[in-house]
Amino acid sequence: MIQRIKVWALELLFLFGLFVHNLSSNQTLFQLSKLSFASMASQASLLLQKQLKDLCKHPVDGFSAGLVDETNIFEWSVTIIGPPDTLYEGGFFNAIMSFPQNYPNSPPSVKFTSEIWHPNVYPDGRVCISILHPPGEDPNGYELASERWTPVHTVESIVLSIISMLSGPNDESPANVEAAKEWRDRRDDFKKKVSRCVRKSQEML
Amino acid sequence: MDSEDDMHDANDLDSLDDDFYSGETEDAPMDYYTDYDDDADDYFDDGDDSDPADSRRPEQNFTILKESDIRQRQEDDISRVAAVLSIPRVAASILLRHYNWSVSKVNDAWFADEEQVRKTVGLLEKKVYENPDANELTCGICFEVYPPSKIQTASCGHPYCFSCWGGYIGTSINDGPGCLMLRCPDPSCGAAVDQDMINLLVSAEDKEKYDRYLLRSYIEDNKKTKWCPAPGCEHAVNFDAGSGSYDVSCLCSYSFCWNCTEEAHRPVDCGTVSKWILKNSAESENMNWILANSKPCPKCKRPIEKNQGCMHMTCTPPCKFEFCWLCLGAWTDHGERTGGFYACNRYEAAKQEGVYDETEKRREMAKNSLERYTHYYERWASNQSSRQKALADLHQMQTINIEKLSDTQCQPESQLKFITEAWLQIVECRRVLKWTYAYGFYLAEHEQGKKQFFEYLQGEAESGLERLHQCAEKELQVFLNGDGPSKDFNDFRTKLAGLTSVTRNYFENLVRALENGLCDVDSNGAASSKATGSKNAAGSSKGRGGRGKGTIRASMSSRITDDNHWSCEQCTYANVRSATACQMCNQPRR
Repeated sequence: MIQRIKVWALELLFLFGLFVHNLSSNQTLFQLSKLSFASMASQASLLLQKQLKDLCKHPVDGFSAGLVDETNIFEWSVTIIGPPDTLYEGGFFNAIMSFPQNYPNSPPSVKFTSEIWHPNVYPDGRVCISILHPPGEDPNGYELASERWTPVHTVESIVLSIISMLSGPNDESPANVEAAKEWRDRRDDFKKKVSRCVRKSQEML
Repeated sequence: MDSEDDMHDANDLDSLDDDFYSGETEDAPMDYYTDYDDDADDYFDDGDDSDPADSRRPEQNFTILKESDIRQRQEDDISRVAAVLSIPRVAASILLRHYNWSVSKVNDAWFADEEQVRKTVGLLEKKVYENPDANELTCGICFEVYPPSKIQTASCGHPYCFSCWGGYIGTSINDGPGCLMLRCPDPSCGAAVDQDMINLLVSAEDKEKYDRYLLRSYIEDNKKTKWCPAPGCEHAVNFDAGSGSYDVSCLCSYSFCWNCTEEAHRPVDCGTVSKWILKNSAESENMNWILANSKPCPKCKRPIEKNQGCMHMTCTPPCKFEFCWLCLGAWTDHGERTGGFYACNRYEAAKQEGVYDETEKRREMAKNSLERYTHYYERWASNQSSRQKALADLHQMQTINIEKLSDTQCQPESQLKFITEAWLQIVECRRVLKWTYAYGFYLAEHEQGKKQFFEYLQGEAESGLERLHQCAEKELQVFLNGDGPSKDFNDFRTKLAGLTSVTRNYFENLVRALENGLCDVDSNGAASSKATGSKNAAGSSKGRGGRGKGTIRASMSSRITDDNHWSCEQCTYANVRSATACQMCNQPRR
């Protein structure tokens, strides 16, 4: 009798083992077949959730960040405070950051929803800075790799770059040509337009 | 039996994979040449061996590389650099990629300033980042904490987990060949990501892509190699610059110019070819035509071609404007007063006053230049299509007809090689002839002497080729369709082989003359130089032949080469004694 039970137990164990084995191999199959999308998206959302949590716990001076819609981790709403001692001081500029499914391997895009007059912001609000450019854009430009997108960038490092862009516009490769010309040649007009934007952004609060 | 050998060489199409270097002719009895005696034979092989600038067989200064050869060379270069610099092979590979696969450049740069090279290329000697805690590492991308076994680093030491590395490298590989220069993701760090890491971290599919890029880089970044431009061909060509021509022919049988990668265009230079191609494709010729042959409707301005008929023009609906072709005035203004409906004296008067001169003159000039261009273009294009046809015929010959002929004429296939050779010669000659028309188009109008000499040589070559083509195309049909062996077949063999070699001589003269810029003639001395020119050309090719038999035959009168033959003064063909006119060119015997 005892013998019997032992055999049963062994059989059971064996079956159970098979079951477990099957499960895990199914899982690998699943992962392999759906490799790109499912796993990439989940990697992206995990990373974004982590960053969101970190930013809530340890806010960074100069901006605040949250989700546009609580159910979508890929769309962030950011408010950037105009850096002190610049033309943009005192403004509160809202922007939307949209992350791709394969973040962090590709950069998000950033678009101001507040009106902003700046050489490196397109008239429609899209931000044009080198770290938001995909790394593969210029295969031979590896010497500039440090200025382009790499996956080590985070929401925080992107926003800090935008803040530094506000402090020092780059008129070499402007997104808004008019603004760049004005910034270079008619600084007073430029200042006026910027202050108007700052005032508007305060009213919107 | 040198001729067989030589004729073979003359045709670069199959010369690469064939065994002509091995002196195969020794083993194969070439019966068909027994119709010639030694002398005649000697005659036909001249011009092939002795001249270093010979047009037909330049020293082969290129190598065709199959994929396996490319890999082999790449591996060899990497091993060499690795051995000389005592660095790992993956590092050597990175270095070579940066220096366009030039081993000598890598060596020079490395031994001049190793530290600087390491920095620019991203081969760090020691880590720039040390982990504070060796047991728990935080991935710089996903910020998860991992044990060291789950973390990979490049030579810099920045830690990232396997999956983040995989995503990073995979994205880069799918972005294109830039992945070959991949660096550590840290913006401040330039450490290179080497192939060992790639093999460790990415999917098989991406590995293969990377491998492909690496192979392509070896050909595309290297100044000495290029891909064969023929569609679908996967071979590459390694070219050693130096003397000789740029013509390269790939194993796929496509011949192209190394310098400009257009199809082979000897004896015409690359500049002329690109001008010509541009001209052919440019709309400007269409514009010239419209300008020369049409006038705009005075009302709606659409160009109208007048293809004969009276001067009363009616524009097509909806315009329907009626006007006079000569003066472009409204037809309603025309009548008795203006000199009748059909001869507009308003035009004549205006022409006398000089109103129409300018436009008319331009129209006239455009028309002339257009006609000139059309003349050359037509001939260029018809030789092109003729060559395509000949290529197809050659293929047909090699695959089907030779076998068939071998059956009907009871000849072993090895005895029918002369037919393939004739066709190879035709294909090559069509190519040369085609390009001489581009050459002719750009030959300066005022250099009459050169122009005449050129046209003379071209004409000779062309008529020789026509005879050969005709013989190979038409006369062969009789034997191909015959019921059984024909006793005339041997005569046919003699004729075709003779024509092949005669035509080859003509084209050699032509190519040589064009390549030295027709310098045998000064630009003015047209009539006299024509004769000397041809004499020179013919004489020089003969003077060099002979292979030890060394008889110089530069005489232009027809001679008895032996008891049974006389050689034609015009084409050098050795005719049977009984013939009163040359069997090749119909030149009467003198």
